[in-house]
Amino acid sequence: MSEDVIVQTRALSKVYRDFWGRQKVRALKALDLEVRRGEVLGLLGPNGSGKTTTIKLILGLLFPTAGEALVFGKRATDVSKNERIGYLPEESYLYRFLNAEETLDFYARLFDMPPATRQERVDSLIKQVGLDQARKRQLQEYSKGMTRRIGLAQALINNPDLILLDEPTSGLDPIGTREMKDMILRLKDEGKTVVMCSHLLADVQDVCDRIAILHQGELKELGRVDTLLTVADVTQIRARGLSADCQNEIRDVISRHQGELLDMANPTTTLEELFLSIVRDSEARPGRRAKVEQPADPSAAD
Amino acid sequence: MVLEREILPYFDWLFRGEDLLGALPQYLIIAAALGFLALVVGYLISAVRHGLLRGGDIVYRTVSSGFRELLETSSRRTWALARLAMKEAWRRRVIVALVVFVILLSFANWFLTSDNQDPVKLYVSFLLTAVTYLVLGIALLLSTFSLPGDFKTKTIYTVVTKPVRAGEIILGRIIGFTLVGTILLLVMAVCSYVFVSRSLNHTHQVETNSLSYERDPAGELLGYRGQTGLDAYHRHDIELETDKNGFALSNHGHYHEIDAQGDKQIVRKPHDLLRARVPRYGKLSFTDRQGDAKERGISVGSEWTYRSFIDGNTQATAIWVFDNIDASLEAEEGRGLPIGLTVRVFRTHKGIIGKPITGAIQVRNPETNLKSDLIPFAALDAKIEETTIDRVLVDTEDQQRDLFKDFVSTNGQLEIRVLCMERGQYFGFAQPDCYLRLPDSSPLWNYVKVYTSIWVQMVIVTSIGVTSSALLSGPVSMLFTVSFILLGFSRDFFLGIAVGSDFARYGVDKVFGGGPVEALVRIVTRKNVIAPLDPGFGTSVVQSIDLVLQKLMLSVAQVLPDFSAFSTVNFAALGFDVPAGRVSQDLTVCLGYVLGSVVVGYFLLRTREVAK
Ligand SMILES: Nc1ncnc2c1ncn2[C@@H]1O[C@H](COP(=O)(O)OP(=O)(O)OP(=O)(O)O)[C@@H](O)[C@H]1O
Ligand SMILES: [Mg+2]
Repeated sequence: MSEDVIVQTRALSKVYRDFWGRQKVRALKALDLEVRRGEVLGLLGPNGSGKTTTIKLILGLLFPTAGEALVFGKRATDVSKNERIGYLPEESYLYRFLNAEETLDFYARLFDMPPATRQERVDSLIKQVGLDQARKRQLQEYSKGMTRRIGLAQALINNPDLILLDEPTSGLDPIGTREMKDMILRLKDEGKTVVMCSHLLADVQDVCDRIAILHQGELKELGRVDTLLTVADVTQIRARGLSADCQNEIRDVISRHQGELLDMANPTTTLEELFLSIVRDSEARPGRRAKVEQPADPSAAD
Repeated sequence: MVLEREILPYFDWLFRGEDLLGALPQYLIIAAALGFLALVVGYLISAVRHGLLRGGDIVYRTVSSGFRELLETSSRRTWALARLAMKEAWRRRVIVALVVFVILLSFANWFLTSDNQDPVKLYVSFLLTAVTYLVLGIALLLSTFSLPGDFKTKTIYTVVTKPVRAGEIILGRIIGFTLVGTILLLVMAVCSYVFVSRSLNHTHQVETNSLSYERDPAGELLGYRGQTGLDAYHRHDIELETDKNGFALSNHGHYHEIDAQGDKQIVRKPHDLLRARVPRYGKLSFTDRQGDAKERGISVGSEWTYRSFIDGNTQATAIWVFDNIDASLEAEEGRGLPIGLTVRVFRTHKGIIGKPITGAIQVRNPETNLKSDLIPFAALDAKIEETTIDRVLVDTEDQQRDLFKDFVSTNGQLEIRVLCMERGQYFGFAQPDCYLRLPDSSPLWNYVKVYTSIWVQMVIVTSIGVTSSALLSGPVSMLFTVSFILLGFSRDFFLGIAVGSDFARYGVDKVFGGGPVEALVRIVTRKNVIAPLDPGFGTSVVQSIDLVLQKLMLSVAQVLPDFSAFSTVNFAALGFDVPAGRVSQDLTVCLGYVLGSVVVGYFLLRTREVAK
């Protein structure tokens, strides 16, 4: 396994069973995925498609029914991998009776950090997520956005190399959302690897290098955001100074190369359109990789 | 003081044991057996889930990484988790327990009356028992609901995704809750100490008109005798020197100093209310009414076979043999050998209520068969009689003899024989009922030791609670822990059922009525517990099921903590020093439970799907 592959899943599957071992849900079906160093990967999918399940499997919070997940080349159940991981859960599962400082101090201790570095790290993170005013208040008094911020600070306490974010922008206002996205981009600039899942398409589109689209536990699409959103057989022309005649004779204009050609490229669809078409396609023909026209993608994992 | 089991010296207990193995080898064997069992069960489960090969691989990895991770336990992480547990306990208002305790104390005087024979015993045993149950209750609630709470609020997700070893989660909680419990216990200890001393503090008036002169044959004034007034439901005889200073003699378990101030006598505060007697025990044997040697006396039909009895005005004797006797045992030089004696009196006719039964003490040199004359004493039921065997004694030939020179054998042995002098009355004894009195140890220190034993129980409950809650939900884990405690309290009976006719080897009383199913059949068919069941197919089925159940019970009994043996409340109540060996043994057992809990808890947490 190459040094640059941070997370690798091989035929990772998860079946939720009830107490008697009867199958309840097949939440994830044979997922093959590779996350490389320094990239931001977005897991995209409708509610209940298995995004959170994937993240939990990568963290070792769940045991795979089949297949395996490797993180930094170690098994997901190996605790020592946690030294270099930061995790922001769907909702911030933090101790509500602690205040911001105590919370971060507690998690810092769990990384066996010596007192001096701990102090420094806690202080800088509280400032970084903008909770300086509320550092002495108990988390149970926090608003949703504040809780999200302290959750993020908690995830970054160990200066992790791999950050797993489960719906990082949920509950944040537009400004908070913007800040969160900036933070993710900053982490990327620092060379960190980020895996985030979301169903907010704009978020994914803005920050992710690659996206994986899941539907009903199956991987439907995987590729670079820019290539995925390129529509190959359609040409878009942006032009200026065309007369009404020219517009009427648009075909002639193109064939005869008249007028000032400002831009000629493949148009991009919105992620929303892509997403909806994949989901629709998947529902029409379940069990198959989605059929969306696209050029061959050199960076796809398979 | 009832001591059903002898307390062995620490290292004997740890390595050699009495009839069974020493504690350490026993622990290791049980651990190995449990480990093996867990391995088999674990493999079966994962083989069913993942297939034979992969199952084996998973088990191997879990076990090998398990031992590595247990060694990687970090003190900083553990302490962080312990602090968290303490904060959680604080948030869950453990302080309420103290409020309950204080309320209990403020109303205790309503139902604890000091007109009791032995008010100290009543107060101390009530308070210590209350403290024990209160603290065990808190330990139970805190420990069993903590981890399940974390699972419910999913805060555990953010903890286990840090480099925390699962053992640290268990150990941290045990430490945290133990610290909280320790603080509670300390506060309660101080409160109850103050409460006992203050409630029992009293003084008396000297009844001046009761004072009479005491003169020697020459008419010289020796001092005064008299008595105090009736206060706190009792009075004392008093003896004063010629300067009118003196003592209110021991009654109700204490005495007072009396100082003369001008014309008046001031009775000071009570002394020796709380004591820590240090006994040295001998070996007890009996002779029957014909004077033949017997291992035990006779039974008076009591179900509790701890004591056996000698009948009055016969040759039946209770004989204690003490080793290493010399003059250094004297409390004051030349005064003789201080002993303590507790007699259970069983009357077959009433006599005069409250009037003591006469008994006699005799010493004998086991080598030369030299016997002293009978020294009479008055026996009150269950009262600890503290006397001294005089240094100069008269033997059966009316010769004056020296206790240490003539009655102690060359290898330092002395026999103390006790007889009952009244016909138709019986004296009951067990080995610890007669002892040599060594100088008292500090009552305060003894109090600390008693609280240590409560602390040990608390830690064990906490460990079991935390560990079981790693697998079970809060209420279920609480039920489990409670049943564990209850079974632990009646461990001997439980073990008695499990081992059936093999009871003697395990040092427990015989339990009649067979195994659990047989007992059920007896209840339903209203058969008594002694009569054998009618032979037949049904009986064989019942008994073979019982055989399996009994084996199971025997295994469970191996890991049950013997809670009734942990309690040292009686030591404090009766004013006996808790032997140091006892405390160190209890602490060792406690450590054993904590270690075991951490290991078991580690594997429970590690094999559990956290996000399920
Ligand atoms: N603990 C569980 N027990 C049983 N089924 C579960 C459990 N957790 C998730 N599931 C099921 O597994 C499937 C995938 O759930 P998952 O939480 O991974 O979805 P998701 O993509 O994160 O959805 P969302 O966008 O709503 O967060 C769902 O059908 C869900 O009902
Ligand atoms: Mg989710």
